[in-house]
Amino acid sequence: MFLLSQPDPDFYKNNSLIFLVSSIILIIATFIFGNEINGAKRWLNFGFFSLQSSEIVKIALPVFLAAYLYDKPLPISFKNTLVCIILILILTNFVRIQPDLGTSLVILVAGLYILFLAGLSWRFIGVSTGIFLLSLPFIWNNFLEPFQRQRILTLFDPTNDPYGSGWNITQSKIAIGSGGILGKGYQEGSQAHLDFLPETETDFIFSVIAEEFGFFGVCVVLLIFFFIMFRCLYLALNARDRFCRLTIGGLSLIFISTVFINLAMVIGIIPVVGMPLPFISKGGSSLLSFYISFGIIISMATHKKLMQR
Amino acid sequence: MSDIEERRLEKKNFSNRLLFIYIFFGFLFTYFLSKTYSLQVSSFSDYEIAALKNKTREVLIQPRRGIIYDRNNNILVNNIPSYNLIVSPSQILNPDILLKNIQQVISLNSEEQTYFFENFEVKASLNRELTIKKNLSPEEIARFEVRKHKFPNVFIDERFSRQHIYPHLFSHAIGFVGNPNDDELEKILSDQNHKLRETQFNYSNAFLLGKTGIESIYDKELRGTFGKKVYEVDAKGKLLKELKFIAPLPGRDLKTSLDINAQKVAYDELDSRRGAVVAVDLDTGEINTYVSSPTFSANKISNGLSSSEFDRLLKDENKPFFDRAGQGRYSPASTIKPAIALFGLENNIIDWDYTIDDPGFFVLPEDGRVYRGWKKGGHGNINLNEAIIESSNTFFFSLAYQSDIDELIKHLSYFGFGRNVCKDCFFPDNGLLPNPQWKINNLNFGWFKGDTVNIGVGQGYLSATPIQLAYYASFLANKGNLNSLSFVENNIDLKVETFKSKNINDTDWQKLHDSMIGVIENPKGTAKRLRNLKNYIIAAKSGTVELVSTDTKEDYKIIREVEGKRDHAIIVAFGPMPNPKYAVSVIIENGESGGSVAGPVAIKVLNSLLKK
Repeated sequence: MFLLSQPDPDFYKNNSLIFLVSSIILIIATFIFGNEINGAKRWLNFGFFSLQSSEIVKIALPVFLAAYLYDKPLPISFKNTLVCIILILILTNFVRIQPDLGTSLVILVAGLYILFLAGLSWRFIGVSTGIFLLSLPFIWNNFLEPFQRQRILTLFDPTNDPYGSGWNITQSKIAIGSGGILGKGYQEGSQAHLDFLPETETDFIFSVIAEEFGFFGVCVVLLIFFFIMFRCLYLALNARDRFCRLTIGGLSLIFISTVFINLAMVIGIIPVVGMPLPFISKGGSSLLSFYISFGIIISMATHKKLMQR
Repeated sequence: MSDIEERRLEKKNFSNRLLFIYIFFGFLFTYFLSKTYSLQVSSFSDYEIAALKNKTREVLIQPRRGIIYDRNNNILVNNIPSYNLIVSPSQILNPDILLKNIQQVISLNSEEQTYFFENFEVKASLNRELTIKKNLSPEEIARFEVRKHKFPNVFIDERFSRQHIYPHLFSHAIGFVGNPNDDELEKILSDQNHKLRETQFNYSNAFLLGKTGIESIYDKELRGTFGKKVYEVDAKGKLLKELKFIAPLPGRDLKTSLDINAQKVAYDELDSRRGAVVAVDLDTGEINTYVSSPTFSANKISNGLSSSEFDRLLKDENKPFFDRAGQGRYSPASTIKPAIALFGLENNIIDWDYTIDDPGFFVLPEDGRVYRGWKKGGHGNINLNEAIIESSNTFFFSLAYQSDIDELIKHLSYFGFGRNVCKDCFFPDNGLLPNPQWKINNLNFGWFKGDTVNIGVGQGYLSATPIQLAYYASFLANKGNLNSLSFVENNIDLKVETFKSKNINDTDWQKLHDSMIGVIENPKGTAKRLRNLKNYIIAAKSGTVELVSTDTKEDYKIIREVEGKRDHAIIVAFGPMPNPKYAVSVIIENGESGGSVAGPVAIKVLNSLLKK
């Protein structure tokens, strides 16, 4: 993070295409050399650590889009919009077929955030939203794996099948609920330590915090996230140029979205999609990608130009 | 548009849009916080319970069932231990080596070996015990015990089986235990605020429930209270540590009023003939003897009976499972006569001096139908005393003829007919005390005077069980005061039922007893052959239950070719006179003569109870 905060933002702007192309190469390499775990090929093994290539795309894509759009006049032309959307959809689909629904959705929204912030016309947003809604049944039938559909169905009635696919959500809610106001104490969570809760170090770490430190602990964690969120807002609004604005805005929104998807997942609002809680969940790639994001954000915050162009 | 203008516009646009998204996330943030609040604060107790339920597992511990004693504190039913070899698989690294080592001490057959290997992994992962071999012999136990130090995780555990000490003597009185069905089990557990769950059994046969007899009636007292162990478990159900232990409370031991010796005498005397013997303690109404014959082994029923053996018992013509003592219906025959005599005295129809001329038959005035006595030519001119001693049918036909049927039924009901006379008998039959209403409802015929006449000699529709007849005998012996019968001691709270009479005094009772003594002691008595079987005085009334109505002795000789058509032998008796202590009733199906066939059984049971 420290390392990445050193270069001038222009370094990122000028090399964004290289970043994007390298990340795409990583993705393709994953398909060929990736380790298959639980039927999913998401990881590239580098010997000393394995990299989830989609996490890199998650950064490279918004940075590239920001660099691509920063000097385009308003409103953004239909041609530019289309280029961006096609790029977004291609990358999203790469990740989706790994399959990694959670990250692919993040990549999708990451791209859309940049487009939106860069000034996508409201008319285009309206029309495409309409088309999206109409094509939902088609997506449901053709683009979702059966287990993904099951997860979504479980969401609507987790109690229907408490020991099947609803198990994770049910156990997570029990963990959170049984934490109470002050929690059961560090290392005292029965849900977490007796294996009722799955993925206690990654996806469901928030449930463990809630169980062991209670509502109090939850408030502390949420306050920290809240602070980071508004610090990013401040930085975005006061960024030195349009590229920085778009990049800070986009990266911070990815961060926030990841937080909210994770929270929504563990408290049972959305299906279990496999989304870590930034900076808290164990998981090298995710941590690495957020270090990169914040490295870039810090670089943009510290390298102010004295004179505005 | 200038560059600056455009840049400002662009920045404003960006700011608006970013703020728009942030406001959206702001709402989401609030929503999440409130959702977490509702989970952790509002619904805390629900989830706390859910988490507790998750991590704890209750294991029930089966209590020991109460021991059943006779009235002299001899054990009748006990819990007999058997010994099983058990291992804790989670502590064992190599099951193959373990089994090989065990085989050097205790041999295992291939079935036991297969069971061991098939269940080893599962039991180990859940930290449960695994039984290697059941019912170890004393030699096997000894061999293992001396080498115990070599097997730190293998031990011998005691499991009980419910055993009658006298497997055939009390099969109907005490009954047997079996496994409850699902509903019964749920009831047993819910009575003690438990739900069906994993159970640590004390009995080889798992859950027990009294199925018949005293085992069933006193099941709640005998069964005891389940204890429990609460374990912490992980998500897979592996037992981690014991959190709480509540010891089971053994069931109450039950001291019954049964008497082994008298029971054994009755059983031996019946000698597998179809019949029943019931004897009662007159002071308390306690049942000392309760035998139905033929019978079966209660132990085999409880602890495993081959299906062919069970089938054989079920199809046996003599119906060994049928509890004749409590459910067999027999006409009281001539044993009813003392009760009819009391009715005559009570209603001033007769007195002790009243005589009739007995020609050997009674003619019903209404239709000229003839009702015969047992003695050809009759008993001549006889009074009540002689009518009881000689068992004159004509006398009692005539007496019954003069009786009001409704009054007579009410009277007989005092003596235990047509109603339950036992507090704790297992599904006792009420016999049949017929009345005009019953006849029209069930047979679609009106009541004839002849039906009343038949009741006078205990034939016709009237029927009673041996336990009712024992009650009847006790009632006569106690001159109309008697508790309900019972199998247990100390019936403190029982009210004494008193025969409500206007015209019967102690002298009448005394005379009635004398007449019944005469049945044995008088040279004309129908049971005079019993006189030499004892050295004290007994009062009795014998009877012969006609299954097929015949007019002459010659006719009966043809009938008796078929054993099942022979008369039943019946007797009620009490003694020693003049202060009787015990009463007894005996029925022997197709035994023919109440006095000489049922009589000796009754005498021997009384001898045993009186230790004479």
